[in-house]
Amino acid sequence: MSTTPHRHEAPPANKGLLALACVLLAIPIVALLLVGTYAKDEPRLGGFPFFIWYQFLWVVICSALTYAAYRLVLKARPHVPMNPEGDAFLDDDHRANPREDGLR
Amino acid sequence: MTAVVPALSPAASGDTGGVNVVALSVLIFFFVVVAGAGFWAARWRRPASMESLEEWGLGGRSFGTWVTWFLLGGDLYTAYTFVAVPAAMFSAGAVSGFFAVPYTIILYPIIFVFMSRLWSVSHRHGYVTPADFVQGRSGSRGLTLAVAITGFIATMPYIALQLVGIQAVLEVAGVGSNTNWLANDLPLFIAFLVLALYTYTSGLRAPALIAFVKDILIYIVIIVAVIYLPAKVGGWGHVFDAAQGKMEATNPATGKPVGVFIPGAGQYWAYATLALGSAMALFMYPHSITATLSAKNRNTIRKNASILPAYSFLLGLLALLGWVAIAAGTKPIGVNGKPNPQLVVPQLFEDFFPSWFAGVAFAAIAIGALVPAAIMSIAAANTFTRNIYKAWLNPNATIQQEAKVSKITSLVVKAFALVFVLTLDKQNAINFQLLGGIWILQTFPSVVFYLYTRWFHRRALLIGWAVGMAYGTWTAYGVASPQTPHFGGSIANMPVVGQLGYIAVTAFALNVVVAALLTLVFRAVKADEGRDETIPADYFADAGDPRVEKLAPGPHELTPSA
Repeated sequence: MSTTPHRHEAPPANKGLLALACVLLAIPIVALLLVGTYAKDEPRLGGFPFFIWYQFLWVVICSALTYAAYRLVLKARPHVPMNPEGDAFLDDDHRANPREDGLR
Repeated sequence: MTAVVPALSPAASGDTGGVNVVALSVLIFFFVVVAGAGFWAARWRRPASMESLEEWGLGGRSFGTWVTWFLLGGDLYTAYTFVAVPAAMFSAGAVSGFFAVPYTIILYPIIFVFMSRLWSVSHRHGYVTPADFVQGRSGSRGLTLAVAITGFIATMPYIALQLVGIQAVLEVAGVGSNTNWLANDLPLFIAFLVLALYTYTSGLRAPALIAFVKDILIYIVIIVAVIYLPAKVGGWGHVFDAAQGKMEATNPATGKPVGVFIPGAGQYWAYATLALGSAMALFMYPHSITATLSAKNRNTIRKNASILPAYSFLLGLLALLGWVAIAAGTKPIGVNGKPNPQLVVPQLFEDFFPSWFAGVAFAAIAIGALVPAAIMSIAAANTFTRNIYKAWLNPNATIQQEAKVSKITSLVVKAFALVFVLTLDKQNAINFQLLGGIWILQTFPSVVFYLYTRWFHRRALLIGWAVGMAYGTWTAYGVASPQTPHFGGSIANMPVVGQLGYIAVTAFALNVVVAALLTLVFRAVKADEGRDETIPADYFADAGDPRVEKLAPGPHELTPSA
């Protein structure tokens, strides 16, 4: 199988915003993997042990953080359409900019 | 279908209290509705032709945010999950049961990061399975075959377990018998036959449409249950006290506590690695990837990562029903008279709700089995077609032939799952499912690392995979439990860490270390790195960007380099 030869880079991105999105996504993972911080019975909330309600709380927090990350990445790297041949971007100005390679 | 009820009545007896006619009628009603929807789905967003994997196997890559939400929700939160998680909570407690909650929370940040890239590159190159991508990226037939076979064999027991979920419901509804195999197996057989037929005609559109019914039923049932049941058994405080009482009591047979109420210091690693390993593994299964690739654009999956946790919340509530059952004194006893924790949630519903609502609950679980079973069989069939049939048996297969092979394979896969469940002990399906989770995580480096970098050498990845598979299988074999001498659980001692942890994660760590070290060796000897057919921009493509046109292979290209 072969494809038409073409080489071009990832669309340009705001790396600061991407890094921020990564931090937002990492928070729930780190928080929940630290089981020792929440493996306890007290304080109970409406009869629910801390262990249980704390994790339910993270469902909501994680959802909010993921949504924030979604808004951020849309802003950080807006989509740049390809030309019909798929070998360049339609907006050729981007090709003049130096940019990072591939990573997200 | 209705004829089944009177025919079965004399057979059912014993502890389940005979056939619950009202509940069973409601169950059958919903099953008929869903079957109708499944066949009608072929006309939904009707394509010019269904005879391609793009249409039959991926629904034309056309699903928007909400369809994807229902489809993925229906796909990931399976009937078996709904039966097994509360069962684990009921019999063993928080480590084996409640880890499903952190698992399905951290799942979403993880897939947020890499699934968009997989969607984009698959869109550009027409990839249908994860192994398709590995082939395009590595140019290695060996590695591709390893990924494809792992995906295929890990999915098979998962399909079989969906049947176990349906069986649990039927058993509590009073259908089943110790002595008459026909009475026992016929309803399951009919359910799967109907499922097989509408999957054959409608492809991925069928489970996508049925998922709406399934998920709405599940939400209604669980919300009603968590509001109504705790009040009936003395409130949530009492529920947790009862659970604590049961879990912390000493099991006379082993001299250890019955289960875990809240994990102690020695169980932190187990809880965390079970959550992490399961989250990393879930989107390596072909059926998860099939549902993701059917989305219509790159960011559908990311938007979904923020709304899918609604199902995790639901799963957490469902898990707690296992503890509600402890407070309620539920006795999950099968038609054979032996206790079976898997029956605990259906039994709880039958004990506390009027028959018609128990029927709705049974329908939710049974339909909950049909959606993932359909998607899994489609994904397994696509994997076979693309990565075994087309890659090794018939490289010149047309897209029509691909669709034909895939449709037939989906039937074979379901027939196999049925035979597996009906002839072998259920424990085998559970063992294989457990192994499947360990195995599928070993494809993570090949799929996910490759989305970012080609630094890892393809041969190193293949050897790392083999080492991870061997270590995981061997370690799981050595885990004994009171029920079974081998494959008794998924946690074992983690070398280096010195604590109990999820075997899949240990095997994965070994896999990555081996792959990294061997990469250095293969680079030093300048081993062939293969050809990459993707370019960096492919990983950012969106709907509307042009697809790569594959040129017809020339005669010299019929056997791609291995």
